[in-house]
Amino acid sequence: MRQVALPLSLTLVVLAALAQTTVFGEGSIQPLGASPAIVTLVVIAVVRHLDPEPALLVAFTAGLLMDLLGGSPLGLWALALTTVGYLTVRLRHHADRGLLLVAVGIFAFTFLGNALFSIAGTLFGQRTLTDPDVIDLMVLPALYTMILGAAVLPGTAKLLLRNREAAWKP
Amino acid sequence: MFRRFDRAGGLFIGLLAVSFLLATFDVRSDGQGVGSVLREGTQALFAPLQRLTTSVSRPVVGFIDGIAEVASLRDENDRLVNRVQDLEALVRDAEALQRRLEELEKINDLEPPGELAAITARIVSNGSSDFDHVRFIDRGSDNGVVMGHPVIDDNGLVGRVDAVGDNWARVRLITDPRLGVGVRDLATNETGWVSGQGDGPLKLEMFLAGEAVGVGDLIVTDGSRFPPDIAVGVVLEAAESQAGFALTTEVEPFIETARLDFVKVLVGWSPLDTAAGTDEASAFGRSALSRAGP
Repeated sequence: MRQVALPLSLTLVVLAALAQTTVFGEGSIQPLGASPAIVTLVVIAVVRHLDPEPALLVAFTAGLLMDLLGGSPLGLWALALTTVGYLTVRLRHHADRGLLLVAVGIFAFTFLGNALFSIAGTLFGQRTLTDPDVIDLMVLPALYTMILGAAVLPGTAKLLLRNREAAWKP
Repeated sequence: MFRRFDRAGGLFIGLLAVSFLLATFDVRSDGQGVGSVLREGTQALFAPLQRLTTSVSRPVVGFIDGIAEVASLRDENDRLVNRVQDLEALVRDAEALQRRLEELEKINDLEPPGELAAITARIVSNGSSDFDHVRFIDRGSDNGVVMGHPVIDDNGLVGRVDAVGDNWARVRLITDPRLGVGVRDLATNETGWVSGQGDGPLKLEMFLAGEAVGVGDLIVTDGSRFPPDIAVGVVLEAAESQAGFALTTEVEPFIETARLDFVKVLVGWSPLDTAAGTDEASAFGRSALSRAGP
Protein backbone atom coordinates (compact mmCIF):
# COMPACT_ATOMS: atom_id res chain seq x y z
CA MET A 1 0.00 0.00 0.00
CA ARG A 2 1.36 3.41 -0.92
CA GLN A 3 1.87 5.91 1.89
CA VAL A 4 -0.53 8.36 0.31
CA ALA A 5 -3.22 5.76 -0.37
CA LEU A 6 -4.99 6.24 2.96
CA PRO A 7 -5.27 10.07 2.89
CA LEU A 8 -6.18 9.87 -0.79
CA SER A 9 -8.90 7.35 -0.01
CA LEU A 10 -10.33 9.54 2.75
CA THR A 11 -10.29 12.54 0.41
CA LEU A 12 -12.20 10.54 -2.19
CA VAL A 13 -14.74 9.51 0.44
CA VAL A 14 -15.27 13.15 1.45
CA LEU A 15 -15.70 14.19 -2.20
CA ALA A 16 -18.14 11.33 -2.72
CA ALA A 17 -20.18 12.38 0.32
CA LEU A 18 -20.23 15.93 -1.01
CA ALA A 19 -21.49 14.73 -4.40
CA GLN A 20 -24.03 12.40 -2.81
CA THR A 21 -25.61 15.18 -0.72
CA THR A 22 -25.64 17.87 -3.40
CA VAL A 23 -25.55 16.52 -6.96
CA PHE A 24 -27.47 13.28 -6.48
CA GLY A 25 -30.64 12.52 -4.58
CA GLU A 26 -34.15 13.90 -4.34
CA GLY A 27 -34.30 17.38 -5.80
CA SER A 28 -31.15 16.80 -7.81
CA ILE A 29 -30.19 14.00 -10.19
CA GLN A 30 -32.45 11.08 -9.32
CA PRO A 31 -33.61 9.13 -12.37
CA LEU A 32 -36.70 6.99 -11.68
CA GLY A 33 -36.67 8.12 -8.07
CA ALA A 34 -33.31 6.68 -7.14
CA SER A 35 -29.71 7.80 -7.29
CA PRO A 36 -26.38 5.97 -7.39
CA ALA A 37 -24.74 5.16 -4.08
CA ILE A 38 -21.59 7.17 -4.74
CA VAL A 39 -20.10 6.75 -1.27
CA THR A 40 -20.63 2.99 -1.34
CA LEU A 41 -19.00 2.84 -4.76
CA VAL A 42 -15.97 4.82 -3.60
CA VAL A 43 -15.67 2.58 -0.54
CA ILE A 44 -15.64 -0.51 -2.76
CA ALA A 45 -13.18 1.16 -5.12
CA VAL A 46 -10.64 2.28 -2.53
CA VAL A 47 -10.90 -0.69 -0.20
CA ARG A 48 -9.68 -2.94 -3.01
CA HIS A 49 -6.29 -1.24 -2.86
CA LEU A 50 -5.76 -0.82 0.87
CA ASP A 51 -4.48 -3.16 3.55
CA PRO A 52 -7.34 -4.84 5.44
CA GLU A 53 -7.26 -2.76 8.63
CA PRO A 54 -7.02 0.68 7.00
CA ALA A 55 -9.63 -0.49 4.50
CA LEU A 56 -12.10 -1.25 7.28
CA LEU A 57 -11.41 2.07 8.98
CA VAL A 58 -12.01 3.94 5.72
CA ALA A 59 -15.30 2.08 5.19
CA PHE A 60 -16.40 2.81 8.77
CA THR A 61 -15.44 6.49 8.43
CA ALA A 62 -17.36 6.75 5.17
CA GLY A 63 -20.43 5.27 6.83
CA LEU A 64 -20.14 7.57 9.81
CA LEU A 65 -19.90 10.54 7.46
CA MET A 66 -23.08 9.38 5.69
CA ASP A 67 -24.81 9.19 9.07
CA LEU A 68 -23.60 12.63 10.10
CA LEU A 69 -24.68 14.24 6.83
CA GLY A 70 -28.03 12.46 6.65
CA GLY A 71 -31.14 12.12 8.73
CA SER A 72 -30.54 8.68 10.19
CA PRO A 73 -29.16 7.79 13.63
CA LEU A 74 -25.39 7.55 13.90
CA GLY A 75 -23.95 4.13 13.21
CA LEU A 76 -26.45 2.73 10.69
CA TRP A 77 -24.53 3.58 7.54
CA ALA A 78 -21.29 2.91 9.43
CA LEU A 79 -22.53 -0.62 10.07
CA ALA A 80 -23.64 -1.14 6.47
CA LEU A 81 -20.49 0.24 4.84
CA THR A 82 -18.13 -1.51 7.27
CA THR A 83 -19.77 -4.78 6.23
CA VAL A 84 -19.45 -3.86 2.56
CA GLY A 85 -15.80 -2.95 3.13
CA TYR A 86 -15.07 -6.20 4.93
CA LEU A 87 -16.68 -8.33 2.22
CA THR A 88 -14.78 -6.39 -0.45
CA VAL A 89 -11.50 -7.05 1.38
CA ARG A 90 -12.37 -10.73 1.74
CA LEU A 91 -13.42 -11.25 -1.87
CA ARG A 92 -11.25 -8.78 -3.77
CA HIS A 93 -8.89 -11.45 -5.11
CA HIS A 94 -11.80 -12.69 -7.27
CA ALA A 95 -11.65 -9.42 -9.23
CA ASP A 96 -8.97 -11.11 -11.35
CA ARG A 97 -11.62 -13.33 -12.90
CA GLY A 98 -13.05 -10.61 -15.07
CA LEU A 99 -15.09 -7.47 -15.41
CA LEU A 100 -18.41 -9.27 -15.23
CA LEU A 101 -17.65 -10.54 -11.75
CA VAL A 102 -16.53 -7.05 -10.68
CA ALA A 103 -19.80 -5.59 -12.00
CA VAL A 104 -21.87 -8.24 -10.23
CA GLY A 105 -19.85 -7.62 -7.09
CA ILE A 106 -20.56 -3.88 -7.15
CA PHE A 107 -24.26 -4.53 -7.70
CA ALA A 108 -24.41 -7.12 -4.94
CA PHE A 109 -22.42 -5.09 -2.39
CA THR A 110 -24.42 -1.91 -3.04
CA PHE A 111 -27.67 -3.83 -2.71
CA LEU A 112 -26.38 -5.46 0.45
CA GLY A 113 -25.34 -2.09 1.90
CA ASN A 114 -28.77 -0.60 1.26
CA ALA A 115 -30.52 -3.71 2.57
CA LEU A 116 -28.43 -3.74 5.75
CA PHE A 117 -29.14 -0.05 6.27
CA SER A 118 -32.87 -0.65 5.82
CA ILE A 119 -32.98 -3.59 8.19
CA ALA A 120 -30.81 -1.92 10.82
CA GLY A 121 -32.86 1.27 10.40
CA THR A 122 -36.07 -0.62 11.00
CA LEU A 123 -34.58 -2.30 14.08
CA PHE A 124 -33.77 1.18 15.40
CA GLY A 125 -37.25 2.55 14.69
CA GLN A 126 -36.60 4.34 11.41
CA ARG A 127 -39.51 2.73 9.52
CA THR A 128 -37.22 2.35 6.52
CA LEU A 129 -38.89 -0.84 5.40
CA THR A 130 -42.33 0.77 5.48
CA ASP A 131 -41.45 2.78 2.36
CA PRO A 132 -43.57 1.26 -0.45
CA ASP A 133 -40.65 1.76 -2.85
CA VAL A 134 -38.09 0.14 -0.61
CA ILE A 135 -37.19 -2.55 -3.16
CA ASP A 136 -36.68 0.09 -5.86
CA LEU A 137 -34.52 2.04 -3.42
CA MET A 138 -32.26 -1.00 -3.10
CA VAL A 139 -32.19 -2.29 -6.67
CA LEU A 140 -32.02 0.92 -8.74
CA PRO A 141 -29.13 2.51 -6.82
CA ALA A 142 -27.26 -0.80 -7.12
CA LEU A 143 -27.83 -0.75 -10.87
CA TYR A 144 -26.73 2.88 -11.27
CA THR A 145 -23.73 2.27 -9.03
CA MET A 146 -22.70 -0.74 -11.11
CA ILE A 147 -22.82 1.40 -14.26
CA LEU A 148 -20.84 4.23 -12.67
CA GLY A 149 -18.34 1.68 -11.41
CA ALA A 150 -17.03 1.30 -14.94
CA ALA A 151 -15.62 4.82 -14.64
CA VAL A 152 -14.88 5.09 -10.94
CA LEU A 153 -13.02 1.82 -10.34
CA PRO A 154 -10.33 2.24 -13.01
CA GLY A 155 -9.95 5.91 -12.08
CA THR A 156 -9.53 5.11 -8.39
CA ALA A 157 -7.11 2.30 -9.13
CA LYS A 158 -5.06 4.61 -11.31
CA LEU A 159 -5.02 7.24 -8.60
CA LEU A 160 -4.15 4.88 -5.76
CA LEU A 161 -1.74 2.61 -7.62
CA ARG A 162 -0.41 5.17 -10.07
CA ASN A 163 -0.37 2.34 -12.57
CA ARG A 164 -2.97 2.03 -15.29
CA GLU A 165 -2.14 -1.63 -16.00
CA ALA A 166 -3.14 -2.57 -12.49
CA ALA A 167 -6.47 -0.82 -12.75
CA TRP A 168 -8.54 -3.99 -12.61
CA LYS A 169 -6.27 -5.96 -10.35
CA PRO A 170 -6.59 -6.25 -6.59
CA MET B 1 -1.86 -13.28 5.44
CA PHE B 2 -4.12 -15.47 7.55
CA ARG B 3 -3.13 -13.58 10.69
CA ARG B 4 -3.84 -10.28 8.97
CA PHE B 5 -7.31 -11.42 8.05
CA ASP B 6 -7.78 -12.58 11.60
CA ARG B 7 -6.91 -9.09 12.79
CA ALA B 8 -9.19 -7.64 10.15
CA GLY B 9 -11.98 -9.95 11.30
CA GLY B 10 -11.51 -8.79 14.88
CA LEU B 11 -11.52 -5.17 13.80
CA PHE B 12 -14.64 -5.80 11.73
CA ILE B 13 -16.49 -7.22 14.72
CA GLY B 14 -15.27 -4.32 16.84
CA LEU B 15 -16.46 -1.72 14.34
CA LEU B 16 -19.84 -3.42 14.08
CA ALA B 17 -20.14 -3.28 17.86
CA VAL B 18 -19.19 0.42 17.84
CA SER B 19 -21.82 1.06 15.13
CA PHE B 20 -24.52 -0.67 17.18
CA LEU B 21 -23.52 1.26 20.29
CA LEU B 22 -23.53 4.56 18.40
CA ALA B 23 -26.96 3.85 16.97
CA THR B 24 -28.32 2.82 20.35
CA PHE B 25 -26.99 5.92 22.11
CA ASP B 26 -28.13 8.21 19.32
CA VAL B 27 -31.65 6.80 19.28
CA ARG B 28 -31.91 6.84 23.06
CA SER B 29 -30.65 10.42 23.29
CA ASP B 30 -33.06 11.41 20.52
CA GLY B 31 -30.34 12.93 18.36
CA GLN B 32 -28.96 15.05 21.21
CA GLY B 33 -25.73 14.63 23.18
CA VAL B 34 -22.56 13.49 21.46
CA GLY B 35 -24.41 12.79 18.20
CA SER B 36 -25.64 16.35 18.06
CA VAL B 37 -22.15 17.74 18.69
CA LEU B 38 -20.65 15.51 15.98
CA ARG B 39 -23.40 16.46 13.52
CA GLU B 40 -22.96 20.13 14.23
CA GLY B 41 -19.20 19.92 13.71
CA THR B 42 -19.55 17.95 10.49
CA GLN B 43 -22.22 20.28 9.13
CA ALA B 44 -20.14 23.32 10.04
CA LEU B 45 -17.29 21.85 7.98
CA PHE B 46 -19.43 20.64 5.10
CA ALA B 47 -22.02 23.42 4.78
CA PRO B 48 -19.71 25.87 2.95
CA LEU B 49 -18.50 23.10 0.63
CA GLN B 50 -22.07 21.96 0.01
CA ARG B 51 -23.18 25.50 -0.79
CA LEU B 52 -20.32 25.86 -3.23
CA THR B 53 -20.99 22.49 -4.86
CA THR B 54 -24.72 23.18 -5.05
CA SER B 55 -24.22 26.58 -6.65
CA VAL B 56 -21.87 25.04 -9.22
CA SER B 57 -23.96 21.94 -9.90
CA ARG B 58 -27.41 23.57 -9.85
CA PRO B 59 -27.26 24.78 -13.46
CA VAL B 60 -26.12 21.33 -14.59
CA VAL B 61 -28.84 19.60 -12.60
CA GLY B 62 -31.36 22.14 -13.93
CA PHE B 63 -30.18 21.47 -17.45
CA ILE B 64 -30.63 17.72 -17.03
CA ASP B 65 -34.03 18.33 -15.42
CA GLY B 66 -34.90 20.57 -18.36
CA ILE B 67 -33.99 17.81 -20.81
CA ALA B 68 -36.23 15.37 -18.92
CA GLU B 69 -39.12 17.84 -19.05
CA VAL B 70 -38.64 18.45 -22.74
CA ALA B 71 -38.61 14.72 -23.36
CA SER B 72 -41.94 14.24 -21.63
CA LEU B 73 -43.53 17.22 -23.34
CA ARG B 74 -42.40 15.98 -26.72
CA ASP B 75 -44.80 13.05 -26.53
CA GLU B 76 -47.68 15.41 -25.94
CA ASN B 77 -46.68 17.99 -28.48
CA ASP B 78 -45.45 16.06 -31.50
CA ARG B 79 -46.94 18.60 -33.87
CA LEU B 80 -44.86 21.41 -32.36
CA VAL B 81 -41.58 19.67 -31.86
CA ASN B 82 -39.93 20.68 -35.10
CA ARG B 83 -40.78 24.32 -34.62
CA VAL B 84 -39.57 24.65 -31.06
CA GLN B 85 -36.55 22.38 -31.19
CA ASP B 86 -34.13 25.09 -32.22
CA LEU B 87 -35.50 27.52 -29.68
CA GLU B 88 -35.50 25.15 -26.75
CA ALA B 89 -31.77 25.02 -26.38
CA LEU B 90 -31.63 28.83 -26.28
CA VAL B 91 -34.45 29.34 -23.83
CA ARG B 92 -33.77 26.41 -21.52
CA ASP B 93 -31.21 28.20 -19.39
CA ALA B 94 -33.29 31.36 -19.37
CA GLU B 95 -36.36 29.38 -18.29
CA ALA B 96 -34.46 27.82 -15.44
CA LEU B 97 -33.36 31.24 -14.24
CA GLN B 98 -36.85 32.64 -14.66
CA ARG B 99 -38.36 29.75 -12.72
CA ARG B 100 -35.94 30.31 -9.88
CA LEU B 101 -36.68 34.03 -9.85
CA GLU B 102 -40.44 33.43 -9.81
CA GLU B 103 -40.07 30.93 -7.02
CA LEU B 104 -38.06 33.39 -4.99
CA GLU B 105 -40.59 36.15 -5.64
CA LYS B 106 -43.46 33.86 -4.72
CA ILE B 107 -41.82 32.74 -1.52
CA ASN B 108 -41.07 36.32 -0.53
CA ASP B 109 -44.65 37.41 -1.24
CA LEU B 110 -46.03 34.47 0.68
CA GLU B 111 -48.01 35.54 3.73
CA PRO B 112 -47.15 33.28 6.64
CA PRO B 113 -50.21 31.83 8.36
CA GLY B 114 -51.47 34.04 11.16
CA GLU B 115 -48.88 36.63 10.17
CA LEU B 116 -46.17 34.68 11.88
CA ALA B 117 -42.63 35.97 11.52
CA ALA B 118 -40.79 33.99 8.87
CA ILE B 119 -37.39 33.91 7.26
CA THR B 120 -36.52 32.73 3.78
CA ALA B 121 -34.00 29.93 3.47
CA ARG B 122 -32.52 27.98 0.63
CA ILE B 123 -32.04 24.24 0.38
CA VAL B 124 -28.31 23.52 0.22
CA SER B 125 -28.20 19.75 0.37
CA ASN B 126 -30.19 16.53 0.55
CA GLY B 127 -29.85 13.62 2.90
CA SER B 128 -27.02 11.19 2.33
CA SER B 129 -29.14 8.50 0.66
CA ASP B 130 -32.47 7.86 -1.02
CA PHE B 131 -33.78 6.60 2.31
CA ASP B 132 -33.44 10.07 3.82
CA HIS B 133 -36.37 12.45 3.56
CA VAL B 134 -34.59 15.49 4.89
CA ARG B 135 -33.18 18.74 3.51
CA PHE B 136 -30.51 21.01 4.90
CA ILE B 137 -31.13 24.76 4.72
CA ASP B 138 -28.75 27.69 4.95
CA ARG B 139 -30.31 29.27 8.03
CA GLY B 140 -29.76 28.22 11.62
CA SER B 141 -29.80 29.37 15.22
CA ASP B 142 -27.99 32.57 14.25
CA ASN B 143 -31.16 33.48 12.33
CA GLY B 144 -33.55 32.48 15.10
CA VAL B 145 -34.30 28.95 13.89
CA VAL B 146 -34.92 26.40 16.63
CA MET B 147 -35.93 22.75 16.62
CA GLY B 148 -39.61 22.28 15.89
CA HIS B 149 -40.08 25.33 13.67
CA PRO B 150 -42.46 24.62 10.77
CA VAL B 151 -41.18 25.04 7.23
CA ILE B 152 -43.44 25.99 4.32
CA ASP B 153 -43.15 26.96 0.69
CA ASP B 154 -45.65 28.50 -1.71
CA ASN B 155 -47.40 25.12 -2.11
CA GLY B 156 -47.91 24.39 1.56
CA LEU B 157 -46.33 22.55 4.46
CA VAL B 158 -42.82 21.26 3.76
CA GLY B 159 -41.83 19.83 7.14
CA ARG B 160 -40.29 20.79 10.42
CA VAL B 161 -36.83 21.61 11.69
CA ASP B 162 -35.40 18.68 13.63
CA ALA B 163 -31.74 19.65 13.98
CA VAL B 164 -30.12 23.07 14.12
CA GLY B 165 -26.61 24.45 13.92
CA ASP B 166 -25.35 28.03 13.89
CA ASN B 167 -25.92 28.57 10.18
CA TRP B 168 -27.73 25.42 9.05
CA ALA B 169 -30.78 23.43 9.96
CA ARG B 170 -32.15 20.04 9.01
CA VAL B 171 -35.76 19.92 7.82
CA ARG B 172 -37.58 16.61 8.07
CA LEU B 173 -40.06 16.52 5.20
CA ILE B 174 -43.71 15.58 5.64
CA THR B 175 -43.00 12.59 3.38
CA ASP B 176 -40.75 11.09 6.08
CA PRO B 177 -42.46 8.18 7.88
CA ARG B 178 -41.06 9.49 11.18
CA LEU B 179 -42.88 12.81 10.93
CA GLY B 180 -46.56 13.08 11.75
CA VAL B 181 -48.77 16.11 11.24
CA GLY B 182 -52.06 16.82 12.98
CA VAL B 183 -54.51 17.79 10.24
CA ARG B 184 -58.10 18.81 9.59
CA ASP B 185 -60.31 17.94 6.65
CA LEU B 186 -61.81 21.24 5.53
CA ALA B 187 -64.87 19.48 4.07
CA THR B 188 -65.85 17.64 7.25
CA ASN B 189 -63.93 19.75 9.77
CA GLU B 190 -62.74 16.56 11.44
CA THR B 191 -59.19 16.07 12.60
CA GLY B 192 -56.73 13.30 11.97
CA TRP B 193 -53.11 12.50 11.47
CA VAL B 194 -50.98 12.47 8.37
CA SER B 195 -47.67 10.65 8.16
CA GLY B 196 -45.20 10.14 5.33
CA GLN B 197 -44.63 6.90 3.48
CA GLY B 198 -41.40 7.85 1.78
CA ASP B 199 -41.96 8.82 -1.82
CA GLY B 200 -45.56 9.12 -2.92
CA PRO B 201 -48.76 9.95 -1.09
CA LEU B 202 -49.11 10.56 2.62
CA LYS B 203 -51.12 8.30 4.89
CA LEU B 204 -54.16 9.92 6.54
CA GLU B 205 -55.59 8.34 9.65
CA MET B 206 -58.67 9.61 11.46
CA PHE B 207 -59.26 7.75 14.68
CA LEU B 208 -62.52 9.40 15.65
CA ALA B 209 -64.02 10.22 12.26
CA GLY B 210 -67.79 10.49 12.19
CA GLU B 211 -68.09 11.39 8.52
CA ALA B 212 -66.54 9.98 5.37
CA VAL B 213 -63.79 11.83 3.53
CA GLY B 214 -64.14 12.43 -0.21
CA VAL B 215 -61.77 12.63 -3.13
CA GLY B 216 -60.34 16.14 -3.40
CA ASP B 217 -61.02 17.14 0.21
CA LEU B 218 -58.50 19.75 1.23
CA ILE B 219 -56.34 18.74 4.17
CA VAL B 220 -54.78 21.48 6.30
CA THR B 221 -52.87 21.57 9.56
CA ASP B 222 -55.04 21.56 12.67
CA GLY B 223 -52.92 23.91 14.77
CA SER B 224 -51.68 21.34 17.28
CA ARG B 225 -48.00 21.04 16.50
CA PHE B 226 -48.00 23.24 13.41
CA PRO B 227 -49.71 26.58 12.91
CA PRO B 228 -53.32 26.09 11.81
CA ASP B 229 -54.60 26.10 8.22
CA ILE B 230 -51.38 25.43 6.33
CA ALA B 231 -52.25 23.45 3.20
CA VAL B 232 -50.94 19.87 3.32
CA GLY B 233 -52.61 18.10 0.41
CA VAL B 234 -55.81 16.64 -1.05
CA VAL B 235 -57.48 13.32 -0.37
CA LEU B 236 -56.81 10.79 -3.12
CA GLU B 237 -59.39 8.15 -2.25
CA ALA B 238 -62.75 8.43 -0.52
CA ALA B 239 -62.96 6.51 2.74
CA GLU B 240 -65.16 6.10 5.77
CA SER B 241 -64.42 4.66 9.14
CA GLN B 242 -65.55 1.16 9.95
CA ALA B 243 -66.77 0.35 13.42
CA GLY B 244 -63.79 -0.09 15.70
CA PHE B 245 -61.26 0.91 13.05
CA ALA B 246 -59.65 4.20 12.14
CA LEU B 247 -60.47 5.82 8.83
CA THR B 248 -57.41 5.39 6.65
CA THR B 249 -56.76 6.82 3.21
CA GLU B 250 -54.07 8.58 1.19
CA VAL B 251 -53.35 12.25 0.66
CA GLU B 252 -51.44 13.73 -2.26
CA PRO B 253 -49.08 16.34 -0.75
CA PHE B 254 -49.02 19.79 -2.33
CA ILE B 255 -45.27 20.12 -2.04
CA GLU B 256 -43.07 18.77 -4.79
CA THR B 257 -40.15 17.41 -2.86
CA ALA B 258 -38.01 17.09 -5.97
CA ARG B 259 -38.41 20.80 -6.71
CA LEU B 260 -37.83 22.33 -3.32
CA ASP B 261 -35.47 25.26 -3.51
CA PHE B 262 -36.51 28.27 -1.44
CA VAL B 263 -38.56 27.76 1.70
CA LYS B 264 -39.81 29.79 4.63
CA VAL B 265 -39.14 28.93 8.25
CA LEU B 266 -41.90 30.13 10.55
CA VAL B 267 -39.65 31.46 13.29
CA GLY B 268 -42.60 33.23 14.90
CA TRP B 269 -44.19 29.91 15.84
CA SER B 270 -43.25 28.63 19.28
CA PRO B 271 -42.91 24.88 19.14
CA LEU B 272 -44.50 23.51 22.29
CA ASP B 273 -42.79 20.17 22.00
CA THR B 274 -39.36 20.51 20.49
CA ALA B 275 -38.60 16.83 20.89
CA ALA B 276 -41.71 15.87 19.01
CA GLY B 277 -39.96 15.35 15.71
CA THR B 278 -38.79 11.87 16.49
CA ASP B 279 -41.63 9.46 16.17
CA GLU B 280 -44.81 11.38 16.40
CA ALA B 281 -46.98 8.95 14.50
CA SER B 282 -46.70 6.31 17.20
CA ALA B 283 -47.15 8.88 19.93
CA PHE B 284 -50.27 10.23 18.27
CA GLY B 285 -51.65 6.77 17.73
CA ARG B 286 -51.24 6.01 21.38
CA SER B 287 -52.81 9.25 22.54
CA ALA B 288 -55.69 8.97 20.08
CA LEU B 289 -56.40 5.43 21.14
CA SER B 290 -56.28 6.39 24.77
CA ARG B 291 -58.73 9.22 24.07
CA ALA B 292 -60.98 6.80 22.25
CA GLY B 293 -60.85 4.36 25.14
CA PRO B 294 -63.46 4.05 27.90
